[in-house]
Amino acid sequence: MKEKDLYVDFSPQQMIYYVEKDDSSYGPIISGSQLSHDYLDDFYYKKRNLEKSLRDQIAKNEISPVYYYMILQELGMGDLASRVGVGKRKLKRHFKPSCFNNLRLKMIKKYAEIFNVPLSSMFQVVIVKDDDRKNIDIQKMRTNNDSFELLKICAVDKMEDKKS
Amino acid sequence: MSKINDFEHKMGAHCETGTLTSLFNYAGLEITEPMIFGIANGIFFGYLETDTFPFPTFIVRSRPGQIRKNITKRLGIKLFEQKYKSVEKGEAALDELINKNIPTAAQVDFFYMDYMPEWQRVHINVHFIIIAGEKDDKYIVSDSYYPRIAELSRESMRKARWAGGHMPPKGFLFYPVNVPQKIDLKKPIIKGIKTACRNMIGLPVPFIGVKGIYKFADKVKEWPKIARDTEHLSHEIMKINILLEDQGTGGAGFRFMYASFLQQASEILSNSDLADMSKRMMKNGDEWRNISYFAAKIGKNRDLGTDKLEELSDLIRKRGDEEKAFFTELKKIIK
Repeated sequence: MKEKDLYVDFSPQQMIYYVEKDDSSYGPIISGSQLSHDYLDDFYYKKRNLEKSLRDQIAKNEISPVYYYMILQELGMGDLASRVGVGKRKLKRHFKPSCFNNLRLKMIKKYAEIFNVPLSSMFQVVIVKDDDRKNIDIQKMRTNNDSFELLKICAVDKMEDKKS
Repeated sequence: MSKINDFEHKMGAHCETGTLTSLFNYAGLEITEPMIFGIANGIFFGYLETDTFPFPTFIVRSRPGQIRKNITKRLGIKLFEQKYKSVEKGEAALDELINKNIPTAAQVDFFYMDYMPEWQRVHINVHFIIIAGEKDDKYIVSDSYYPRIAELSRESMRKARWAGGHMPPKGFLFYPVNVPQKIDLKKPIIKGIKTACRNMIGLPVPFIGVKGIYKFADKVKEWPKIARDTEHLSHEIMKINILLEDQGTGGAGFRFMYASFLQQASEILSNSDLADMSKRMMKNGDEWRNISYFAAKIGKNRDLGTDKLEELSDLIRKRGDEEKAFFTELKKIIK
């Protein structure tokens, strides 16, 4: 493919692609991702819908947070079972709220570690209205106590005041 | 400690070949990324349906780690390679290498590379980065996929190096200890091409090589049956574009990079037939890229009826036909 046909101006995601240069030689260029440039909104639209649908399923007591994060993070069942160190049959049981609710804290911590979320996110999801997203900054902060986290909620302008 | 002084960060199309290129160049060997990819017969195709992945998927390159093994064997390069069961020992070993000013590659789970855009970060245990120093208790990282030198916290690095799951990194580190400065590439090129031809048309495995492309063409029509809903199907269809273009392939599922390799190989071997094959592979790559565009378009429009999936399947099948003819021809040329 010729350089001019492939090049996309998109700084948030840049990669190396091999193209045909003007002198007919083939070599690398840095270009933005065409897919992300054109369709990132659609990616997030679908992700938000999926998040909401899974959240509703948790609220209805149909699935556990383990299943929620596995689907959202696109982990295969075999892969997740191996990361946690349990068999697939046991992992499937952890998808059920009744089983999840009886899991030891140590096991839930392990899941939180793998999903790279704070432990509290295995028990709750913080929702911010779309309109308020730009105005509020929410951070879950770990402490030296593995089972205790701080939830920091800041108005964005206040944060800027602090910085200045 | 800070960045290893004379180490130069370079982007690469792919993490494994990019990492090897940077390390070999740093060690004084002038070699390009496509040349490493070609000599190590990185070009590949496989259609996979296992519960390791959440949905059927395909791979367009050889098994992770195989490129490193092939290139070092064929070029006579010696690497230090070590896995670490113990996190403490593995971290201490890396810190010691940084103190000795040795840029060192590590195998990591890509998900924890938090300098990358959030939408790109997925759990892949076979990502390779170079650790090029340490600053303020953070590692200085040279990642082929990132335009600049990056920083990664010790905690993220620990999670990434000791993630479990499919093909776990197990703290794996490597760096070159002996790199010949001048290498005759002729024999390694021929070996790489021959093995690539065998992998693409000679293996009796129904989901590998050209057979894998045909399987992909057949199976993609069945994806609506296994997707959760239309949006899930749209996501998986659009991921065809990601796997071919944006997951460190250099475009068109490594076909553009392989065309570049064949062009360089034709010059080294003074073989004009290879130059023609290089052009042919570039055209083949263009058609793969058209598949990427098509998949993204029908996915975005939720235009995922039987007719469109048949059309997609036909496009993929034609790539199978072309690659079957291509590698058969390439095998004759390189004999």
